[in-house]
Amino acid sequence: MEFIQDLITTLNFILQGLWVTIGVTIVALTVGLLFGVVTAMLRVYGNAFFKRLAAVYSVIVRAVPVIVIIFILYFVIARFVNLSPFWAGSLALGFASGAYQTEIFRGAFQSVPPGQMVAARAIGMSRLQAIQSIIFPQAVRLALPGWGNEATLVLKDSTLVFVVGVPEILRRAQQVSARTLEPFVAYAAALLLYLALTLLTTQILQWLERRYRLQM
Amino acid sequence: MKKLGLLFSALMIVLLTLSACTAVPQTAAPAAGGESAGGQTTGSEAAAPAAEGGKLAAIKAAGKIVVGTSADYAPYESIDENGNFVGFDMDLIRAVGEKLGVEVEIVDMPFDSLIAAVQQGKIDAVIAAMQATAERDQQVDFTIPYRMTKDAFVAAGNSSLVIEKPEDAAGKRIGAQTGTVQEGWIQKNLVETGLTPADQVFSYERADQAALDVASGRIDLLLMDAEPSIALADETGLKILLITELTAEGGKSIAIPDGAADLKAELDRIIQELIDDGTVLKIQEANGLP
Amino acid sequence: MTTAPILRIEDVYKSFGETRVLNGFSLTIQPQEVVVLVGPSGSGKSTLLRCINLLHPPTAGRIWLEEQEITAPGVNQDKVRQRIGMVFQDFNLFTHLTALGNVMIGLTKVRKMHKQEAHDLAMLELERVGLVERANHYPAQLSGGQKQRVAIARALGMDPHIMLFDEPTSALDPELTGEVLEVMQQLAKEGMTMIVVSHEMGFARQVASRVVFMEGGIVVEEGPPAQMFEQPVHERTRAFLRKITDLDEGGK
Repeated sequence: MEFIQDLITTLNFILQGLWVTIGVTIVALTVGLLFGVVTAMLRVYGNAFFKRLAAVYSVIVRAVPVIVIIFILYFVIARFVNLSPFWAGSLALGFASGAYQTEIFRGAFQSVPPGQMVAARAIGMSRLQAIQSIIFPQAVRLALPGWGNEATLVLKDSTLVFVVGVPEILRRAQQVSARTLEPFVAYAAALLLYLALTLLTTQILQWLERRYRLQM
Repeated sequence: MKKLGLLFSALMIVLLTLSACTAVPQTAAPAAGGESAGGQTTGSEAAAPAAEGGKLAAIKAAGKIVVGTSADYAPYESIDENGNFVGFDMDLIRAVGEKLGVEVEIVDMPFDSLIAAVQQGKIDAVIAAMQATAERDQQVDFTIPYRMTKDAFVAAGNSSLVIEKPEDAAGKRIGAQTGTVQEGWIQKNLVETGLTPADQVFSYERADQAALDVASGRIDLLLMDAEPSIALADETGLKILLITELTAEGGKSIAIPDGAADLKAELDRIIQELIDDGTVLKIQEANGLP
Repeated sequence: MTTAPILRIEDVYKSFGETRVLNGFSLTIQPQEVVVLVGPSGSGKSTLLRCINLLHPPTAGRIWLEEQEITAPGVNQDKVRQRIGMVFQDFNLFTHLTALGNVMIGLTKVRKMHKQEAHDLAMLELERVGLVERANHYPAQLSGGQKQRVAIARALGMDPHIMLFDEPTSALDPELTGEVLEVMQQLAKEGMTMIVVSHEMGFARQVASRVVFMEGGIVVEEGPPAQMFEQPVHERTRAFLRKITDLDEGGK
């Protein structure tokens, strides 16, 4: 009973970090989505220069630990642009996720049968129109399962933004743990929140997948 | 597709609203009992970290000093149930702020990020029970110590080890907090001298994690700051084998940007004043420190 | 015929790397003609169609569509393709769109019609191919014949001046070819100019105004279906036609 009470008190405290975690995750996923889609398009449909550029981005960013990217953005880039820790951390996470999303969307673009592009061009669509109206909507559907996986990974990576002082769920759990010296309660509370968030995310994505399933 | 587009738009709106709410509160200003708006360091500050002679003036002009800490180190710094920064360092820095005539804004960060943050001008100072080691001194400047420290060798409650001098820890499985003076001492005096194999030394992000491993017998000893070790040992049933100055280097100081001579002079003066007028002693007692 | 030709193909070459597929192909087509293109596989029939609508621009040679040289530099290829309807062997319906959506998307995105207008026209085109009641089905829910009819409706929606059919029935089960050929026959009757790559000899006999036999990337022989089927001049034509006619009848 005491454990439950402690857990509730702790949850209350950590809950303030929940919005930070959600905010960081959503910003990072959205930024990553933008980077990912654009870079994947460049990789699949761009000219040689853009293909190379996109490949370099994807390879380098995936080779560098996310935490290093966060540091670079906050401690180096943010010297020239006024970025709060929240934005620096979230953007860095998004930049990193973009590299993984590039691969997800590249695979998806390449899985769309070539006949779709030919048919789109045949009714007079420009290349860009065809990508926008025909290829992209199909690729998004194909990308959804992989993207859902990436979403849960970004959710977990959101704990990294604490290195620049953004107090998300895990840091709040650490604070409780350091104060009460009852890490089990603190981390149990954090675990519950992450579990809830992950379940929510996967549910939403599964619903989307069902809703927009491609009938092949 | 239109619906999918709509969904993304909705997502964007949620995102913007959320970020508007969450961008600020990471820097609690407990003195004011809440968050201060625009709680981030400004671009101009960031652009000119440690400008020679201008730091003190910049702080006074801003009307506040942004101080970084790692709030997981009771009784020096921690966060209470209401989200307020509490502890010896917190009380001290507020007293310093009062003397400086500026507001104190405290930012929580991992210990390892603090030096970089002050170097890059993200924060004006660091107060985190930090010792002025030679390595750190190359990166930042330090005030005079506001408190001399001792270290403690901590072992499990049922441990039969006897430690009479630091070198008695040779060959034992020993832990310390990452990047701390204690870890440096272990490396220099136990590992590099060959007294303890490198794989017997364990590095922890936080002292409480290390304490758990001591309690469970995963490691034999924990070398840490003496003061927090008393509370830690008390709560986790550990026992303190030795309290010594031999492993410690100097005392705890406030870190400030490299070359901020005016700020250093002013803080040194204030710290000496607070020591002399008994404020430090009062704060020490209030936080249950020996 | 004295009217201006709708399509003039002059000495067209097309190579893919080292492989030369078209070898100086020339053909002139008058409005409302239905030309059935036959020839062994690899003779360049599909490539020719893709050269005509510039999906694969010719390596050399020139093509005029209604007096405009579409192979000239600076020609807006997207605009040219709007005037040329194309139907593929494997349908290539847009899998994420319903039958209606497949017809509508070109109307809204390319012809920039308003949604309601596009919807109404698309329904008309579906009616033309007899698929109004399947409007809200996805391609996966349609039979092969229905898919191909949707593909025809999709091409017709763009109001093409000429239609290219690339083996429209060869991916279909035999019992499904009839419905597609019927639609094509109806189109011919309405006066649509068509180039059909097909080995459906029955269709060629009944509907074609001309049969063109090509091999090795050039026209070997051409003429009205009766002449081509009864008294072909070239031995190669005769041999090829005999083979596919036998197959055709053997299959029945």
